[in-house]
Amino acid sequence: MQRELQRAQTDLGKLDPAPYFLSYSVYDQHVAIVIGSEGSLVNSTQAGLRTAGVTMRIGTPALDNAHEENRNSAIGSGMLPLTDDPDAIAHELWRLTYDEYRKASRAYLNVKTDTQVHAEEEDTSPDFSQERPQNHVDYSDSGPVPDGKALEQFVRQYSAPFRKYPYIYSSAVVITGQQTRLHFVSSEGSRVVAPGSIIRVVIQAETRAEDGMDLMRVETFQAESLPHLPAESEIAARVEAMAFDLKALRAAPLAEPFDGPALLSGRSAGVFFHEVLGHRLEGHRQRGAQEGQTFTKKIGQLILPEFLSVTDDPTLRTLNGMDLGGWYEYDDEGMPATRVEVVKDGVLKSFLMSRMPIRGFGNSNGHGRAQAGLMPTGRQGNLIVTSSRTVKDSELRQKLLDEVRKQGKPYGLYFDDIQGGFTLTQRSTPQAFQVLPVLVWRIYADGRPDELVRGVDIVGTPLAALNRILVTGEKMAVFNGMCGAESGQVPVAAAAPAMLFSEIEVQKRAGSSDRPPILPPPGVQQ
Amino acid sequence: MNHVAHALMGAASALVPTPSLARLPTFCAALALLASLLPAASAAPDDPVLQAMREEMERSKSQLKLDNVAATYYVEYRVIDADQYSAEASFGALRTDVRSRFRFLRAVVRIGDYKQDSYPSSGEGVSDFMPLDDDMLALRHQLWLAADRAYKAAAQSLTAKQAQLKQFTVDQPVDDFAHAAPVQSIGPLAKLDFDPRPWTRMLQDASALYRNDAQIEAFEASLRVAVTNRYFVNSEGTVVRSGQSLYEINVSGSTQAADGMRLDRSDGSAVSGIKAFPSPQEFIARGAELAATLKKLRDAPVTEEEYRGPVLFSANAAASVFADLVGENVLGGTPGLGRNVRTTGAFAASYKSRVLPDFLSVTDDPTISAFRGQELLGYYEVDDEGVPAQKVSVIEHGTLVNYLIGRGPIRGFPASNGHGRAAIPTNPPGPSLGNLIVRSAQPISQEELRKRLIELCRQHELPYGYFVETLGPRLTPRLFYRVWAKDGHQELVRGAIFGDLDTRALRGGLVAAGDDVYVENRSLNIPHSIVAPSILFDELEVKRATTNKDKLPEYPAP
Repeated sequence: MQRELQRAQTDLGKLDPAPYFLSYSVYDQHVAIVIGSEGSLVNSTQAGLRTAGVTMRIGTPALDNAHEENRNSAIGSGMLPLTDDPDAIAHELWRLTYDEYRKASRAYLNVKTDTQVHAEEEDTSPDFSQERPQNHVDYSDSGPVPDGKALEQFVRQYSAPFRKYPYIYSSAVVITGQQTRLHFVSSEGSRVVAPGSIIRVVIQAETRAEDGMDLMRVETFQAESLPHLPAESEIAARVEAMAFDLKALRAAPLAEPFDGPALLSGRSAGVFFHEVLGHRLEGHRQRGAQEGQTFTKKIGQLILPEFLSVTDDPTLRTLNGMDLGGWYEYDDEGMPATRVEVVKDGVLKSFLMSRMPIRGFGNSNGHGRAQAGLMPTGRQGNLIVTSSRTVKDSELRQKLLDEVRKQGKPYGLYFDDIQGGFTLTQRSTPQAFQVLPVLVWRIYADGRPDELVRGVDIVGTPLAALNRILVTGEKMAVFNGMCGAESGQVPVAAAAPAMLFSEIEVQKRAGSSDRPPILPPPGVQQ
Repeated sequence: MNHVAHALMGAASALVPTPSLARLPTFCAALALLASLLPAASAAPDDPVLQAMREEMERSKSQLKLDNVAATYYVEYRVIDADQYSAEASFGALRTDVRSRFRFLRAVVRIGDYKQDSYPSSGEGVSDFMPLDDDMLALRHQLWLAADRAYKAAAQSLTAKQAQLKQFTVDQPVDDFAHAAPVQSIGPLAKLDFDPRPWTRMLQDASALYRNDAQIEAFEASLRVAVTNRYFVNSEGTVVRSGQSLYEINVSGSTQAADGMRLDRSDGSAVSGIKAFPSPQEFIARGAELAATLKKLRDAPVTEEEYRGPVLFSANAAASVFADLVGENVLGGTPGLGRNVRTTGAFAASYKSRVLPDFLSVTDDPTISAFRGQELLGYYEVDDEGVPAQKVSVIEHGTLVNYLIGRGPIRGFPASNGHGRAAIPTNPPGPSLGNLIVRSAQPISQEELRKRLIELCRQHELPYGYFVETLGPRLTPRLFYRVWAKDGHQELVRGAIFGDLDTRALRGGLVAAGDDVYVENRSLNIPHSIVAPSILFDELEVKRATTNKDKLPEYPAP
């Protein structure tokens, strides 16, 4: 890699325009994807992959080929040989490099023309930050190569229990294991070798209510390796709970549109913050002409209740004994991961920065992340929400009821679990978010028993929603997930305590109207 | 406007078990592959996949019914069990090395009757994965869900289709589905059992041949072994099981001439048994030959801007021509709803008309597995709609007399002739080639063909004619020579394309065919073979390609 980098630097340096920055990222990966259903294996794939990304910057750090919408011109990617054959690797890198040079030099011409044609931009920050070279070589493995046979056994074991429940029409257990080693070299003299590994289990079961609404329960477990997953008995109990919940959900009444007090469990609150706040604090979203820039000019201002603080800390490997999905040592631009205090006592302090500067923030803080081969942008790692106005978790229910009565509502909502969410940050779309809860309870003011409802989505606009938090619990809960955005899929975690909101708006979920299957499942008496 | 949604999902976004690994474009690998065939008798009665299909078929046939919706008149299940190994080497090192196994199912439910039913559109069937373990309940579970979805989709499709048909006047109505007699055929299962190591060694050695030529920009060798077992059960009583093996090997390279013109070559084989594979020595020799022709092409002159005159095609090149210009057009595809044409291809209106010179005839015969000692890939016993393979004479003495069809009737052809085949894993079946064989009633020796070429040059007062040895994609010449009239010597040229190589040229400009034969085994999508002799055109247009020339690499190879 270093030899080719030097050759390219020397030879391309003689051309006009010449690159001022060049880096190679190589991801050595062992990947296993195993899927099971009904106690049987459905698919099992194991493979070694070696992906290379060539990053090239032409022009000057102040204005280069990666400017604005040309950002993707700064990276080209391809597959490298699996074997450590230096000649073959050099050949592939050579091919990728001259291809990338063509793409980048074309883009640089466009950028130069565009800047002459267009009015001056609002944010005149440079396109690439100046950083100190990094030297860190760690050839250790953070976890073992995924063992295909063990994963196959796993999916058979945990998909079998659903056979007992005829109302669960389809179910699957998907386990992906990945061991990665990042190699990074750059023309600035950086040399980084860093490990990473992840095991991710998704257990999914579906049923359909008589009115045609599809109901799904999902449990995910994420850890650095198989032994770090919860104990067998705990996973088995969660599988049984999924079946139990689905049965209850089928019988549950449909939720009505509602605007009132609500309690979010820690995991739900974590996803809520990831969507509503986290994505809007990603650095690159503060300068694109298409971006909504909700928080761009709010540095130093109160954006959350004063009792809340938020950090994004990818250096944290575990929290309360749970592996955190957003852990890494070096980001995908070869910068060391750092803990970033984004909101302190409700006041916005910082953004999650890649090497793309924005006004007031000229440097990376180690959050330039991407899926192998894509162009890194500022992304979340482990987003952690902490609170100084807490009550015991056991008292939160009473606090919810107090608020319900104060507002004169018949009930409040309790969001127990959540499967994910999404958000839109661009100007051309409404600044909105949606969170997809799966277990939502009505908590009645008049003492009636709690009632499970189905078909609820939380909706709203970010600034309003964040300021309706009244109080939080004490216990931190963790949601590990895969986050998708422009720079691809990256593992993240969101951690938060349970939170009481004075007002949450929910809407009815769009649903299908297909009937449940006509015949009973095979092997079940009619 | 590019809207970006940022999603955090706990759930798997898609459960389709085809990670990108299962779809690698080219495959490659190495030397101890043994595809052994299990004895037929051992598996048939207690084959769990077949048994699951039969049991669910019984339920679907008799009980799959909603109030106020018509019952099914036809149900079919198809299951594909594929075990594949692929490897690819580039610049002397292994780049991919993947073994993958998958099972897929496809369920089709038809509502209505043979005259008018719910097929196709949303009634075309439902595809899903199937469990790999031979667990009866898990297998049946997937079939049960697929049939349920297919039935509901068929009901919606039939209503939509009836509404749409009211808008058209149909001159000569054609049935939607052909009747076919039930067939029971339980073939042996194929099994993939091999040690890839010697093969991967060979791929690396072959792809290392780039070292002899610093201007080669890409050099790759690949291998794929695919063993496919197919299961088919329908409500008419047809039960078919068959197993096939496919071995493919390929070497390819690319370079650029000094003027920037990109030059590509590839050479591959596809066979059904390991024994027919080239030996490592042969394969490496092919790679060396390919590298050598890349260098020759780079040094070859560019063709003139325009030429009009005789062109001789080798049997290899002719096979590509017949595949594209005849093979594609003798398929009796069902035209869209309300279209008053017979079929979809260029021969839709050519029934009983001349489409080739009268000395040529064409048959498609999937019932043979070899031709003059060479293996044919388009052999099968029963097609993917449960109809036995048939030999079909499609062009007799230059006149189109038949089409290749499956169970989708076209005007004048109400029954399948056993050519309904489907690409794996879950494509719907449609008319497809088996072994397309072009024969000449007046075969001419190679020597005589060359003489004729030169004679034609003299008649046209041309200093040279052209000979095409191999064609690339879209009938673009790859190895292309001038043949000089004065002394018959050959000169390699590059950068040519044909201006008017089409069905009209085949009918009017093809003047002779050789006594030789080339078997082109094609493994893409649906395995088939083209058998053709060399052919001579008295006049074709040859032009200089106008494609943009790329720049040469900005700096030399390592």
